[in-house]
Amino acid sequence: MNLGRGVALVGGATTKFGVRAATWAELAQEAGEALFKAIPALTSADVDSLFVGAAEPERFAFQSHVAPFAAEQLGLAPRKVIQRTELACASGQSAIRSAYAAIAAGLSDVAVAVGVEKMNLPSMAEANTSMACVMDRAWDGAHGATAPPFFAMVAQRHMLEYGTTEDALAAVSEKNHKYANANPNAQFADKTFDRAKLGRLPLVAPPLRLGDCSSMTDGAAAVVLVAEDLARRYTDRPVRIRGTGQYADFHNLANAGSLTDWVGLRHAAKEAFQSAGIGPRDLDFAELHDCFTISEIVEYEALGFCPPGEGGKFVLDGRSSIGGDVAVNTRGGLLGCGHPLGATGIAQAVEVFDQFAGRVAPARQVPDPEWALVHNLSGSANVHSVMIYQGAS
Amino acid sequence: MASEVARERRKPAAESTAALAEPAAPSDSPPPKKLAAPPPFLLDFFPLEEAKQTRLSPFYDHLRAGRLTTTRCRKDGKMSWPPRVVCPDCHTSELDWVDLPSEGRIYAFSAVLVGAPLGMEADVPFVVGLVEMDGVPFRLFGRIVGANWESCHIGQKVRPEPYDLGDGRFFYRFRTSA
Repeated sequence: MNLGRGVALVGGATTKFGVRAATWAELAQEAGEALFKAIPALTSADVDSLFVGAAEPERFAFQSHVAPFAAEQLGLAPRKVIQRTELACASGQSAIRSAYAAIAAGLSDVAVAVGVEKMNLPSMAEANTSMACVMDRAWDGAHGATAPPFFAMVAQRHMLEYGTTEDALAAVSEKNHKYANANPNAQFADKTFDRAKLGRLPLVAPPLRLGDCSSMTDGAAAVVLVAEDLARRYTDRPVRIRGTGQYADFHNLANAGSLTDWVGLRHAAKEAFQSAGIGPRDLDFAELHDCFTISEIVEYEALGFCPPGEGGKFVLDGRSSIGGDVAVNTRGGLLGCGHPLGATGIAQAVEVFDQFAGRVAPARQVPDPEWALVHNLSGSANVHSVMIYQGAS
Repeated sequence: MASEVARERRKPAAESTAALAEPAAPSDSPPPKKLAAPPPFLLDFFPLEEAKQTRLSPFYDHLRAGRLTTTRCRKDGKMSWPPRVVCPDCHTSELDWVDLPSEGRIYAFSAVLVGAPLGMEADVPFVVGLVEMDGVPFRLFGRIVGANWESCHIGQKVRPEPYDLGDGRFFYRFRTSA
């Protein structure tokens, strides 16, 4: 699926992620400050459209109609398109995808996609309630289902069906935390986790331990997307969007089918790879949705990085590290950076731009990349969103 | 603990409302107005299971009578979960209520050891799982009682069981077979 005119990513920035002494509005303002600093040529007047990725501002920040609310925080007056995109954990990528479509169709020339989530509240149970409402609330959430027990069942089945080990899960966490140590905006930038330590952390939802789970995080991120012919105004290293795919196949957990074969991701990836004209072996790095360690393992398999069942071996053999087949989650992943739902997909795109620009810390820089893939799942892995980017050659 | 948090939050709000209404109230002023909402519980933040709110109220009536049911399309035979008012395949609304089997097997399970939503914190730890049943084209998700998570296993037999939420409403869970 290639649309009308070409669309380029010309830069972006994130706030510090973490448990922040800052409101939703303040995080949005910080993202604006960081964005205009990252792209010196950008002016407010250039921006004709705004797409706001926000999963649950009504519950976490008691605020609706967040698209114009965010525009005001960023000091923007969008005159072409303004909208919020909500797709739970994939709300950020959804904002980018919508901006891409609007620019390709000629509705917009210069668009900002911003993602904001404020998740830490005085009551953790309130935040957990919000997460349970991502599920089919009256039928699944009502039993107490949030993300950890669902992904724990995925891990349990993967262990049963393929012999995947807790050590393989910990290897994902260790790798992503290691890269997060080279990302000052990561929630866990200063915390080290090795596999031995991860194995001693308390169980959250067996077999998943604390180190297998991404956290409740406050944060915001923003990127600028433009029509390709305008890209050089903002950067000499524009990154082109070359492919995208999306697939939703169920919502209620009863209708999940296989827990270990994410059919929706295989469909979304196929669509994205076909539109880009490449395959998984062409990728230099990938930002995958490691909301839980097991997610990244199942994603290797569904994306075709390795055969079904071999995701655990793939990470243990170092094939998803820098220097391996494809460097996965050099930003630090959701595990290391934290997971402010609406901001995550945008922050991944910031990493894509910065990797191609060669301006991340040396400890997590991929040498001379050309192709990158970004994946987000949402809810109980019932929706998958994929984008493929090509750096300037 | 969750409902305590909710109550604590509400108490000052109710008091300040009363104070605003009657700033110079004497000691025999009316008590603060009673709040209508029950403590949040994820089945619903307000009770919404009765016929005046949902066309699926028979589901809850059946639970009260000891039956776990769902809907099946009269036209194409499609059995759905959760129960529906329109068939997702043929988009017609002629659906019948059917009983689900009285026994199933655990397909996958875990436990909530931390991080429960409002109204469920006192239940921790609790086991949840997906249950497969013969002749049923989906797996039911729910709480599993009768065993702790360390002693549950995949393939273990469980029986669906309606239970009283304590406020007159009913929901379902699974109990491990003896």
